[in-house]
Amino acid sequence: MRALYERYAPRVYAVVRRIAGDDDLAQDYAQEAWIRAIRALPTFRGDARFSTWLHRIAVNAALQALRRADTRKRREAPMPEAVPVAPSNRDALLQGRLEEALDRLPNGMRQVLILHDVEGYTHEEIGEVLGVASGTSKSQLFKARAKMRTLLGSIDRGDADHGVEAWSI
Amino acid sequence: MEHLNPETLARLVDEAPDAEERAHLERCRECAEEFEWIRSTSEALGRLPDVRPPRGDWAVLEARLVSEGLVRGERGWAAALARTPGWMRAAAAVVLFLSGAGVGLAVGAPGTPMRSAGVEAGMDVGFVSVEPVTVDEAAEAMRRAERVFVDALLRYRQMVDSESGDPGLVDPQRRYAALEYFLAAGEAAVREAPTDPFMNGLLASVRAERQAARQAAVRQASQQDWY
Repeated sequence: MRALYERYAPRVYAVVRRIAGDDDLAQDYAQEAWIRAIRALPTFRGDARFSTWLHRIAVNAALQALRRADTRKRREAPMPEAVPVAPSNRDALLQGRLEEALDRLPNGMRQVLILHDVEGYTHEEIGEVLGVASGTSKSQLFKARAKMRTLLGSIDRGDADHGVEAWSI
Repeated sequence: MEHLNPETLARLVDEAPDAEERAHLERCRECAEEFEWIRSTSEALGRLPDVRPPRGDWAVLEARLVSEGLVRGERGWAAALARTPGWMRAAAAVVLFLSGAGVGLAVGAPGTPMRSAGVEAGMDVGFVSVEPVTVDEAAEAMRRAERVFVDALLRYRQMVDSESGDPGLVDPQRRYAALEYFLAAGEAAVREAPTDPFMNGLLASVRAERQAARQAAVRQASQQDWY
C-alpha cells in the first residue's frame, strides 16, 4: 500500500491542493481521497488507467469536501506573507506566482480553471464532475483566465516591492 | 478604438476568432499582446508540476487506515475486532487461539504446506488447500482476501449501526440478506487465501450466524401468517 502511495501521492496532493487552495484543507482532503480510493480498490475493474481512476476519486473527494466545509471563513483569513525569493529560477518563480494567483481565485472559477487548464478535463467532463452545464464551465473558465490576468498583475507589483526590500538589506 | 474584453481574449485561447475579432487582433498591438499573455499563462498552468505532500503524511494516513480497519497495522486486527459484533469476536478469538497467531496472520514459507486452523478446529469450512508458490504470492493473496473481508465487514457493520447497533435487533430477513453477501465475500476470501485460519474461522461463524438468521426469519414469517 505504501508503495502505491509513494508513487501517486504527489499527483493526488497536487490536484487536491489546488482545488482546496489551502495547505491545511489540502492535507485533510488528500487523506479523504486516499481513504476513498483504498475502500474502492476492490471495485477497480481496470477499464481506465489506475492513475486516471485515482485522479477522478481525488478530484471528487476534494470537490465534495470543499462543498461541505465552511471554507468561506478560512479563505477570508489574511494571506500568509510571501517569502522573498532570490530570482535564481524563473520557472520556480513563475510557478509560485501561478499557484498564488490560483489560491486567490474564487472557488468556482478556480475549480474550472484547474480542471481545464491544469488537469486537461473537457467542459463536458467538468460539467459532469461539478454538476453544471458545459456552457457554464466555459464561461467560468473565460472569467477565471481574465481574473488570473488581474491577479498576476497585482502579484507582480507585490514581487517588485519584495525585490526592493530583499536587495536593500 | 474599442479593445476586445479580457473574457473574449480568454475564449480565443480555445476557439478560433471570428472575422471581426481576427481583424482587430491584427491591427491592435495591445490586444494581441494581452491575448498572447493569457494564452501563455494558460499553457504554463498545464505545465505545473506535481506537489509532494508534507512530511509525515503517510504516517497519519496509515494510522487512519488502520483505525478504520482498511489495512492491518501492528495491532490492526485487535482494533478491528473491538468494533466487531460479539459472535465474530468470539469466533476470531477461538481461531486465533487455535492458530497460535495472537494478532496477525501466518504466511507459510515457500514449499511448506500450511495447515488450516479451521480444519484443526473441526469447522465445516469446505475449502481446497492450495499452496502458494512464493511468499510474495501468498502475501498478495492475503491482502486481496483481507480487502474483500474488510469490505464485507464494513457493509454488515453499516447495516447494523444504521438499525440499532445490536445484530439481534435487526430485522431477521434483512440480516439474513446481509449475511448472504458476507458469506459470499467470505467464500471468495477463502478461495484467495485457503489456508488463512482467520478467514476460515470467520466463514464458519458467518454460516452459523446465517443459519440462526434464517430460523429467525422463518419464525417471523410464521407469526405474520398467523395474524
